Amino acid sequence: MKKLLIYMLSAVLVIAPMSCEDALDVNTDPLAATTADPSAVLPFVFVQYGARKTTELGTRTLDVTQFISNTFNSPKRGNTSIFLTGNTWGMYYTLVLGNLLLLKNDAVEAGPTSNNIAAVATIMQALSFYELASIWDDVPFTQALNGKDFEFPEFDSQETVFKGSVALLDEAMALIDAMPEEGNFNLVTGDLIYGGDMDNWARFANSLKLRILMLIRNRDTSVDGAISATLGQPLIETNSQAALFRYPGTPGQINGWKDIIQSFFAPTNELAELFGPSPVFRDLLVNNNDPRVDVLFFDPTGTGVYTAPEYGSFPVAGEALINDNALRADMPNIWFLPSEVSFYRSELALLGVVADDANARFEDGVRQHSMFWGGVGPGSIPGAEIRLDADDIEAFIASLPDLGGLSDADALNQLYEQMYVEAFMRSVYAWNHVRRTGVPDLQPPPGASISTILKRFDYPPDEVGANPNTPSNLTTDTPVWFEKP
Amino acid sequence: MKKNLLVCFILCSALITESWAQGRTVSGKIVSQDDGEGLPGVNVVLKGTTSGTVSDIDGMYKIDVETEDAVLLFSSIGFLSQERIVGTKSVIDLEMAADVQQLSEVVVTAIGIEREARELGYAISGVKAADLVVARETNIINSLQGKVTGVSITQSSGNLGGSTKITVRGVSSLSGRNNPLWVVDGVPINNQQNQGGDANRITGNRDFANGAAIINPDDVESINVLKGASATALYGSRAAAGVIVVTTKRGKAGPGGGPSVSINSSVRFDNIFKSPDYQNQYAGGDFMKYDSSATSQNFGPRIVGQPVNKSITHDPVALQAFPGNEDDFYETGTTLINNFAISDADERSDYRLSLTSLNQTGILPGAQLDRLTASFNAGFKHSDKLKSRFTAQYIRTVSEGTGVAGANDPNIIGPAFFVRTTDFRDYLPWIDESGNQINTVTNDDNNPYWIQNENKNDREDDRFLGNFELTFTPIENLNITSRVGYDFDVDERLITNRVGTRQVLTGDFENAVIQRRQLNIDILGHYQLKLTDDLDLSILGGWNFNRRVFSREVIASTDQSIPELFLPSNSLVSNPDRDFSEQKLFGAYGEAVLSYRDWLTLTLTGRNDWSSTLPLGSNSYFYPSISAAWVFTDALGISGNFLSYGKLRASWAQVGNDAGPYLLDFTFLPRTVASGQYGLDLSFPYDGRLGFRKTNTIPNQELIPEEQTTIEFGLDLQLWDGRVGLDIAYFNSKNKNQILQTPIPESTGFGFRTLNVGQVSQEGIEIALDADIIDAGDFRWNAIVNFSHVESTVDELIEGTERIVIASAFSSVQLVAVPGKEFQLFGFDYQRDEATGRPLIDPTNGRRIPGEAKTFGSVFPDYTMGLINTFLLL
Repeated sequence: MKKLLIYMLSAVLVIAPMSCEDALDVNTDPLAATTADPSAVLPFVFVQYGARKTTELGTRTLDVTQFISNTFNSPKRGNTSIFLTGNTWGMYYTLVLGNLLLLKNDAVEAGPTSNNIAAVATIMQALSFYELASIWDDVPFTQALNGKDFEFPEFDSQETVFKGSVALLDEAMALIDAMPEEGNFNLVTGDLIYGGDMDNWARFANSLKLRILMLIRNRDTSVDGAISATLGQPLIETNSQAALFRYPGTPGQINGWKDIIQSFFAPTNELAELFGPSPVFRDLLVNNNDPRVDVLFFDPTGTGVYTAPEYGSFPVAGEALINDNALRADMPNIWFLPSEVSFYRSELALLGVVADDANARFEDGVRQHSMFWGGVGPGSIPGAEIRLDADDIEAFIASLPDLGGLSDADALNQLYEQMYVEAFMRSVYAWNHVRRTGVPDLQPPPGASISTILKRFDYPPDEVGANPNTPSNLTTDTPVWFEKP
Repeated sequence: MKKNLLVCFILCSALITESWAQGRTVSGKIVSQDDGEGLPGVNVVLKGTTSGTVSDIDGMYKIDVETEDAVLLFSSIGFLSQERIVGTKSVIDLEMAADVQQLSEVVVTAIGIEREARELGYAISGVKAADLVVARETNIINSLQGKVTGVSITQSSGNLGGSTKITVRGVSSLSGRNNPLWVVDGVPINNQQNQGGDANRITGNRDFANGAAIINPDDVESINVLKGASATALYGSRAAAGVIVVTTKRGKAGPGGGPSVSINSSVRFDNIFKSPDYQNQYAGGDFMKYDSSATSQNFGPRIVGQPVNKSITHDPVALQAFPGNEDDFYETGTTLINNFAISDADERSDYRLSLTSLNQTGILPGAQLDRLTASFNAGFKHSDKLKSRFTAQYIRTVSEGTGVAGANDPNIIGPAFFVRTTDFRDYLPWIDESGNQINTVTNDDNNPYWIQNENKNDREDDRFLGNFELTFTPIENLNITSRVGYDFDVDERLITNRVGTRQVLTGDFENAVIQRRQLNIDILGHYQLKLTDDLDLSILGGWNFNRRVFSREVIASTDQSIPELFLPSNSLVSNPDRDFSEQKLFGAYGEAVLSYRDWLTLTLTGRNDWSSTLPLGSNSYFYPSISAAWVFTDALGISGNFLSYGKLRASWAQVGNDAGPYLLDFTFLPRTVASGQYGLDLSFPYDGRLGFRKTNTIPNQELIPEEQTTIEFGLDLQLWDGRVGLDIAYFNSKNKNQILQTPIPESTGFGFRTLNVGQVSQEGIEIALDADIIDAGDFRWNAIVNFSHVESTVDELIEGTERIVIASAFSSVQLVAVPGKEFQLFGFDYQRDEATGRPLIDPTNGRRIPGEAKTFGSVFPDYTMGLINTFLLL
């Protein structure tokens, strides 16, 4: 017995260390993948982008642009919270751009049959960088996403980022053009926007390019040639081509703004009496007898007066609300509508950059936008509960003054007002619109610490802490580059 | 207590073979000078021979002597040895006096090895059983507060069953892995804490206890804190943050022989200690207007009894403040601890069986914690050559009503807590007959009683600690011990928000089952050898295997149809998820102790570790240590009343801090959600699509363990016959190759990079003073003063980096590492007037003007100190 024990102990002492290396080979996480499947990574990028664009960045800038009178933790009084800035920055750079770059690198390596993946990734890169620069002005671009060579990325001017984004869109379109006839990667699963339809992606890329060029043009009209050329390319011309991130509307997959209401307050905004239109937005629709009032607003008094809540305050009893049709579970996150293209065409015609019928394009825009919200059939907004009568829309369009009969300034003002209406629920684009055109004339709310409306975000503390190249924060009412000095 | 120790020593010490010879018999009774009780286990030896005996349980002995000039030598560890000439006497009774210098000085060191304190070349601080059960704490770590030098104890909150953080000799790791290793009866156990929720402590976090909190003070014989690297060196790559060695109680016979039974009950009450110093002059509201629905602003009018509608009830009242309104919400917590233990021992075996029940209610309404501990400890001496010991502890903890910690979760501490015109009594009741939430300030905030009573934060934790040890003594002075320990924890949590909770109106729940398993095997041989009359050598060699497995399975469900039915099938959305990690460690270690004439001891140790978390092929690291102890009072023959004992010690050691699992590979992680604002996430599969994203941390395929090098000097003095003890230690430790998830600019596409970077050093001094101020027979006053000062300085970071964010709190406050400084508080200051230092006010809106971010100084205390007075009336 004792000898046996000695033998056993000796055996353990001798054998045990010998089996070390094999036994130690357990350091591979069994619950993670080592390669990226575009059909799983692309959905993550779209959904994560859609999540933050709708809730945090989306809702908190909605009262900066004064579509709604108030929201929670809004930066409208000048203070951009570290959560808003940090979550937004991290969403763009690490969750969206970081994943897109890996996807793109893999796709480029895989060759032309993966060009569609590379093109979608590149267009999403352009969209992200353009929005980053829109929010912060100077952001890392040329040295971004390359920690190996640039541990502390330098910040590029908004002009550089915008022009770089345009170049990315050109790159994406070249990738699409070089796609082989067949054998392409099947993007039906991965592409939550167009289901793999690369013609529509090309339209979105061109349209986005037009939007960015219009911002650059505000400071630098040398892009007029590029703008004219872009107008000749396929653009988003019908609502069925609109770039939308759709929410199925089933639990866990609903519009985030609606989720805030139903999780915190009551099943719907009309019951919660929470979000109401700001006086500016209310006046533009109600005073013009715009039929879109019906699809966007709710008047609890039933009188059709639509009393707007005071800007900076939530509605009190009896004041107008954003209605449950607009704030519904399957209300998509809007990236691009054909009405925006039509309005640019009108604007460029008014400015004499291109030859076109400014009023006709203006009317196209109003019609397309009205049909998007309240029309029936393909291209109308998914899940709309309230429909607009086509005759009412035409009657409204007919009631608007002909742009040709107005002074240039009045014509532009009328156009810009309709562009503003068109920008409802479109956070960064709407903010760019009011900063680019100054229409409507927005004033900061009571108690603001800034002299104008919010013009920019502070840099997030994580980037400030980790990147010594982060510029000092300017006051948040300092205009960004594209605003005319 | 001294007697307890003594019994322990009997069980541990080798028995001397009795021998019989011709002659007459001398007998007698040996008693303790302290209490006059019989002393068992005293060695009685005929001087100059190996013949001798041992006193029995009553202190009686009998020995045969042949000549009248025979001398009897009486010795027992912990007592001063004595000699008696036999002469013509046939009865020799003896009183033995405690050796104050020596008693309590056999300590359990690394790997469960017992050594005499005088031999140790490094500092060890201990707490004995009696000190742990006075003013009982439910988390044993809290009992160490103030009792051990160099140990900093931070209780995270007054939350029932909450965690307590312990750090030894300051902070050595930038990565936050500063938790000492807990070792119970020679086997490492887990002291992990799993808060749940997100890493930023914003959503889903609950402060459930740390793993070591389950150690039952009633079952603990002693706790020794191994502080420096020399003390912990035998733990190699797990040693850098110190080691806490817990020894559980063993069986003892009752005073008259036979089993002893002890029953122990205690009760304790807790009240809220302090709440913020609120203003009570201005009402809730904004722009000087009263607002009964104000939940955060106190910018209403001055309170002068004006007629208003009351908050919550909307009754017309005269406006008044309710100072201390939130105190009404808190309750008096009670703690009941009942312990029953039975134990027995004879020459061949000992056992102890103990049952402890802890029943506690907290200061939050509905907060309750019940813990049942059953522990068993038994030892058998199968023969002269084979002994075994078995210990098992089963600990079941059931708690409810733990406070919500994540700020994005519906929380009792809402902004309403700050409004002074809210009468908390109006919150009652919080629910109507239909199950709706009622009596809230607005329609979007919660009633704190609803949160506390309707939303569950339940935990059931079943913990099993088992330990089997076999010691084989094939030849004299050689022991071979194999020890297998297992720590198994099943921690099940149910966290719910009832349907109707604002922010989660449709209800949600999370059911998580967390398992932690740890297997530890040690096989070690210990050989003692007398080289010459003056020179003793003790050699130890061992092999260790350790495997730690963590797994978590969680179901998170939202949108319940029937309230209070927490099933995925009663929920419209359910996201199941899994976590898993495994790590293994092999170690080979050895120790050589060379002692010269009992006053000079040199100890060398070495350990080689092979870790699974490091790159295969370069996962082997060696950790050496050397230490020396010189009892100069013995060496120089100093004796006398004033300086009765003096020891100088010095040591040098190198230990490590291993990497965590899965830090080497680049991975894409499947996601169950895409994060949205306020925790309102979109869930995957989304419209039938899965979602994978890349890791946010750039891994490091060439990771090496953190390396700590420590030098320590110490002085141990006993003055005035041991009435005053003084222990001083100086240490200097450098921790390089810090394994850090370094925050990098997110504009690189990643948030972090795993690197071996930087160096943190600690330099410090510890002073422990122990004095019997009054010893007047029936009244004693003992005072202990512990003082320690540690400077944990960041020596270097990555080149070109000004600071690293170690932790970021919910507001813009950060904890940062800045080279040349202690860890700093970092945040945004206001712009200030240079002359007065007062914040500048923006004239346009009357607000303070935000300034640039800056450091606000060290987050560590300048020193920590404990003062313990013990008054004993006999």
